[in-house]
Amino acid sequence: MTYLVLALLFIVAAVIAGAAFARAALPGKGGLSGERRQHWKAVGIAFVALAVLTAVFDSIMIGMELFHYDAAHILGVKIGLAPIEDFAYPLAGVVALPGLWMWLTRRSSRTAKPNLKGLVPQALLASRPVSWINTAYPFAAAMLLTTREIDWVLIVGTFYFLVPYNLAMYGINDVFDYESDLKNPRKGGMEGALLQPHLHRPMLWLAAITNVPFLVVLAFAGGPAAWISLAVSAFAVVAYSAAGLRFKERPVLDSLTSSTHFVSPAVVGLALAGADVTPGLLILLVAFFLWGMAAHAFGAVQDIEPDRQAGIGSIATVIGARRTVRLAVVLWFVAGLAMLATPWPGPLAAIIAVPYIVNCARYWNITDTTAGRTNAAWRRFIWLNYGSGFLVTLIFILQWSLAS
Amino acid sequence: MGVLYLGSLLLGIGCMLLLDHRFRLFFWRDATAAATVTAVGVVFLLAWDLAGIGLGIFLRGEGTIATGLLIAPELPIEEPVFLLFLVLCTMVLYTGARRVLGRIPARQREKERENA
Repeated sequence: MTYLVLALLFIVAAVIAGAAFARAALPGKGGLSGERRQHWKAVGIAFVALAVLTAVFDSIMIGMELFHYDAAHILGVKIGLAPIEDFAYPLAGVVALPGLWMWLTRRSSRTAKPNLKGLVPQALLASRPVSWINTAYPFAAAMLLTTREIDWVLIVGTFYFLVPYNLAMYGINDVFDYESDLKNPRKGGMEGALLQPHLHRPMLWLAAITNVPFLVVLAFAGGPAAWISLAVSAFAVVAYSAAGLRFKERPVLDSLTSSTHFVSPAVVGLALAGADVTPGLLILLVAFFLWGMAAHAFGAVQDIEPDRQAGIGSIATVIGARRTVRLAVVLWFVAGLAMLATPWPGPLAAIIAVPYIVNCARYWNITDTTAGRTNAAWRRFIWLNYGSGFLVTLIFILQWSLAS
Repeated sequence: MGVLYLGSLLLGIGCMLLLDHRFRLFFWRDATAAATVTAVGVVFLLAWDLAGIGLGIFLRGEGTIATGLLIAPELPIEEPVFLLFLVLCTMVLYTGARRVLGRIPARQREKERENA
C-alpha cells in the first residue's frame, strides 16, 4: 500500500509538470491545439510500448532476483512478476519528460536562436560559489555531529545545501534585484552577476527544477520537525527577494530572513538527525543566528547609496550606516558572549567573534556618504568566514573526540 | 556473470543512441535540451528510488547477474544506469512516435496531390 501512495505522489508531480510544460510549449486557444493533441497521442503510444516492455523485462529482472519488494508495502496485483505499481515509473517518465523536451526545444524552433545560452554558467556565477560552503557546512556539521555517521540523507542534503539551495537563493535574488544591481558596479564579479533580462524566467525555472526534488526527498527522510524546518528554509529563500514579499526591503525582517538562510540548514540537519533539544544547542543556534543577522546588517551598509538611488529599503538605509555598523558589532559581541554559556568545548567558539568585531569596529563612526568604504571590510569578511569555518571545525573535532 | 545486467543495460543504451543517431531524434536534434531532459529524468526517478528505499519498500536482490556494488544502502550501481536507459527509451519512443504521427498527414496530402 505504501508503494502505491509513493507512486501516486510522484505521478501527480509528473502529471502537473508534464501538463504545465506541454501547455507552455504548445499554446492553443480553447481545447487542444493540433500540435498538443499530437503530443499527447505520441505520449500514449510511447506509454503503451513502455508498458509492454515493463511487463516483460520487469518480470525478467524480478525473476533473476535483481530486486524485490517488501510484500507488506505493495498491493499484490501483478502482471507477470511485475507489481502493478512498477508501471508508475514509465508512466511518470512518459508524462513529464516529453513535455519538458517540447518546452526546451520550443525556443529553437520559434525564435531564431536558443536564448538559453549561458544560463547555467550565469546561474553558477550568480549563486556565488565562494559562499556555497556557508549553507552546506551548517547542515553537514549539524547532522554529522548528531548521527555520527555518513548516510545517504547526509550526502543528499549536503549537496542540496551546497548547490541547488544557493542557485535558488541567489538566482531568485538576482532576478528581482536586476534594477538595483544595474546601478551597482560591485555586482558582476565575486559577489554576484548581473543577470540579463531574457534569462530571468529560465533562472526561476532552473531554481524550481533543481530545488523541488531535493525538498521532496529530504521531507521524505524526516518527520514533522524536518518538514517545518524545510518549509521555513524554502520560504525564507523565496520571501527574501521575490516580488510582493521582498523581505529584504523590510528593515529588521531583512536581517532576520538573511540569517535564517544560514541557520535553517543547520536546523534541518538537526531535525533530520532527530537531535535532542538541549539548552546548550539552543544557545548555539541563537548565537549563530545573531552572527548571521550581524553579517547581513553589515553587508547592507556598503549598499546604502545604490539602494537609496533605486528606492530600495534595508536595515542600513533606514537606521543609517553608523547605527547599523554599531548594531552589527554588538550582535557579534552578544553572539560571542552567548557561546561562553554553552557546554565545553563550545566556549572556545567565543574567540571567533573577535576578528569580526575588529574588522567591523573601525567603521564605528562611519557616515552614510562614506558607507561605500565598508566594501573593503566586506571582502575581508567573506574570507574571514573561511577562517571561522576552520576554527569551528577544530572545535567540532574536539567535541567529537570528547564525546566518543 | 556479475556484469551481465550492467552489460545488457549499456548495450540497451547503445542501441537507443544508435536509433537516436540514425533518425536524429533526441541528442542528435538538440543536445543541450536532450541532456537537460535526461538529467532531470534520472534525478527525478532516482529521488523516487531513494524515497522507496527510505520507506523500506524496495529491497535489493542477491541476483548473480548483478555486480553487487552499492552506491548507497539498497541502491546498486546498476540502478542509475537502468534509469538512464529508461529515460532514453522513453524519449526515443516519444520522439519516434511524433515523427511517425507527423508523417501520416504529409503522406496523405502527397497522395491527394497525386490523385488530383
